[in-house]
Amino acid sequence: MASKVDHAQFRLIIPSQTRYLNLVTGLAKRASLVAGFDDATAAKVSIAVDEAVTNVILHAYHGEGEHSVELELRFTEEALEIHIWHSGQGIRGDQLVLPDPKEYIKHPRKGGLGLLLMSRFMDEVQFKADEASGRNECCLIKKIS
Amino acid sequence: MADLSIAVRQVGDVAVLLPAGFINAHTVRDFEEAMERLVQAGRYTILLNCRDLNYISSAGLGAIMGLIETVREHDGDILLSNLQDNVFTIFDTLGFTQLYRVFGDESQALAAVAPEQKG
Repeated sequence: MASKVDHAQFRLIIPSQTRYLNLVTGLAKRASLVAGFDDATAAKVSIAVDEAVTNVILHAYHGEGEHSVELELRFTEEALEIHIWHSGQGIRGDQLVLPDPKEYIKHPRKGGLGLLLMSRFMDEVQFKADEASGRNECCLIKKIS
Repeated sequence: MADLSIAVRQVGDVAVLLPAGFINAHTVRDFEEAMERLVQAGRYTILLNCRDLNYISSAGLGAIMGLIETVREHDGDILLSNLQDNVFTIFDTLGFTQLYRVFGDESQALAAVAPEQKG
């Protein structure tokens, strides 16, 4: 007997290389449109996914390209959920500080704004660690209003 | 097609930089180098005409932030024009529209800096 397939979710595994960012953000944008969001919202979801995957590649994996980043898109009646798993360094609580953009003009530096974009463009941003598997997860949720 | 191509032209004292495509963590180094070359050549007033820029992530915003202090120390600036809606949203969300002068089109931006340079 064939197993039941849940058509409301699917997965994509990419190498931890920035060359695939455009592929992933394009997918996120299309998925948002499928979920029923408008173009502007789809653009926001895609940039949030870009930032999350970039964080994994550059910070969790320190730019090493031989690892994997696993994405799962879940379509529910309430929301589009994008789960991103990796086996690199997890984000610590003290790193979850949203910068004040105006402070940037006084103390310019590269990076640090990605988390702010993720939090502004998504309804929920969650970071989880699974000690059993050693994997870390970033979960982005956009609710369907 | 490449993710990002960058054209540069000089209009008076203003270096007009036209990024086309996507600026993300993969392409940002090209964008950064293009701006750094201008600054190293003493071209401190830079207009980013974003007419053909479809997308910019925080990596690109960080590159702009990384040079703003240097150009302003030399009485220059980084100006923005022709932002597509989704690109404007990113700049605006992070407060960059308060920190940078944003113009509807290139001619407005050039007109805005011309009197300053004469003075």
